[in-house]
Amino acid sequence: MTSPSVDSTSSDRVMIHLDQLSKRFPGQHDNAVDELTMDVREGEIVVLVGPSGCGKTTTMKMINRIIEPTSGRIVLDGEDVTRTDPDQLRRRIGYVIQQVGLFPHLTVGDNIATVPTLLGWSRDRTRERVDELLSMVNMPPESFRDRYPKQLSGGQQQRIGVARALGGDPAVMLMDEPFGAIDPITRDRLQNEFLRLQSEVRKTIVFVTHDIDEAIKMGDRIAILQEGSRIAQYDTPEQILTHPANEFVASFIGRGASLKRLNLSRVADIELSPWPTVGVDASPEEALQALRATHHSAVLVLDESGRPRRWVGAEDVRHAGGRPLDQVGLPPEPVVEPEVTLSDALNELLTARYSVTIVVNRQGAFQGVVDIDQITDAVRTMRRTAVSRARAGLDENP
Amino acid sequence: MDFVDFLVRRSDDMLELGLGHAGVVGLSVLLATVLGVSLGVASYQRERAREAVLAVTGAFLTIPSFALFILLLGPLGLGTAPVVVALTMYGLMPVVRNTITGLREVDPAVVESAQGMGLSRRQRLLRIELPLAWPVIITGVRVSTLVLLGIAAIGAIVNGPGYGELIFTGLARVGTPVAVDLVLAGTLGVIVLAVLFDLLFYAVRRLTTSEGIR
Repeated sequence: MTSPSVDSTSSDRVMIHLDQLSKRFPGQHDNAVDELTMDVREGEIVVLVGPSGCGKTTTMKMINRIIEPTSGRIVLDGEDVTRTDPDQLRRRIGYVIQQVGLFPHLTVGDNIATVPTLLGWSRDRTRERVDELLSMVNMPPESFRDRYPKQLSGGQQQRIGVARALGGDPAVMLMDEPFGAIDPITRDRLQNEFLRLQSEVRKTIVFVTHDIDEAIKMGDRIAILQEGSRIAQYDTPEQILTHPANEFVASFIGRGASLKRLNLSRVADIELSPWPTVGVDASPEEALQALRATHHSAVLVLDESGRPRRWVGAEDVRHAGGRPLDQVGLPPEPVVEPEVTLSDALNELLTARYSVTIVVNRQGAFQGVVDIDQITDAVRTMRRTAVSRARAGLDENP
Repeated sequence: MDFVDFLVRRSDDMLELGLGHAGVVGLSVLLATVLGVSLGVASYQRERAREAVLAVTGAFLTIPSFALFILLLGPLGLGTAPVVVALTMYGLMPVVRNTITGLREVDPAVVESAQGMGLSRRQRLLRIELPLAWPVIITGVRVSTLVLLGIAAIGAIVNGPGYGELIFTGLARVGTPVAVDLVLAGTLGVIVLAVLFDLLFYAVRRLTTSEGIR
């Protein structure tokens, strides 16, 4: 989950330290990456984002030395790895690329077992790890272990790509536009799955994208890079959205920063409103009574397990003609789970009949509703927090 | 019908010559494969090296076989040795070319992800690149084999083994009825061997190619 409060999701220990890192490619006049210095803390997702050609991918590939730096140092978990054996270094760092690059001649299981095998794990331990990782990325080991990459969809391949990168249980992961080549719906699902996975595994992740919306969604901190991998701003998503450091950042975020901020909070983060409900076997009189006791124009009919079945208004009850409550009124839409962002919830409620979004838990039981007031409240709170944090920063460094 | 009688009468010869022919071609193909794959692996990443290797092995193929056998007579004498050397030279080009093509066709993303996971240069080559290029390489070996089966017949002029003996004997008796039978028998033997080798390659290719890239 993207938590706005970085401090609670990561320790202060620096996992990756880049020190005046530069890269100049042969035959080029300017440095592709120019004296970049930055820290990535343990357990956080840092997103490198910027226009194409800004050097973000080069920067990332220098961390595992797929691209060797021209000058500067890379310090991994306190150890200078700028000149150590690159193959040993890479076995400690998970690597996911946009084109996935699964080995087509090996089964899914053998793909995931690549790094454990290189590290000399026993057969049993490797097999266990493969099954564990397959379950982690929601692909049942029994049915996927022995398949070949060509038998998988693009989204499934990328899941295996992530599982394979986690194979040797590395502390650090590098991800280069991992969801870039996937259709928008699947991408959204994979992003959510990945955030859930990250909340369990707590890796230190450097994530490259050119998509600011993805950066906001995935990043605990975002580094917005200009040409030469110069840092325009390196901060939490909400600070970047509320206080862009300069004109470049502002124009890169583009319009709709306030709307984008809604991507930072989830339904689970706000307090839900109650809504009048009746059981599915309630009599018409009970339903009317419930309606009279509220200013809302409909009640929500719930089944025995508390799952929403129908929206029912006074008119519906009167014209029911003896039919049970779950056969009159309107279907209970829209329904969301608490993990969705406020942005998604807002999108749903804008088109909803009763201007609210129903929230249910994983089992589908009714939890409450979200309406437009709660969303405006959330935006206001976020702005206030951001302002006060910025002020605190001012007071510290007068 | 006379030709069938001829074959039946000479069936022992046919078999013996066939074994010799297959043996000399098999050995040469093996050598050409080992050398050719090595040359391909050594050169595929650098344009200069690649072009040089293809130019040289291609040039071998343009030497008239008759001439090459006779040229090798001096240093290697008569018999199997000059034939194997000449055939190996002729067999290199298809193997080298397909090795280079196969290795260069491997998806760069696959190689990069292998590198990113910490496979060494050697591990990448042996575990990833060569297995993926293998179907293309073995096709090159197959082409080599077919070419060599034909050329091997000429090897009889330096006393090499195989069906060439029948053909050259026929040549010496041009004008007699048996000449045509001899040449036809030699040709037929080569064709049968070609079919058998092809079946063998089909089986080997199926057995040695991963299901994932079939």
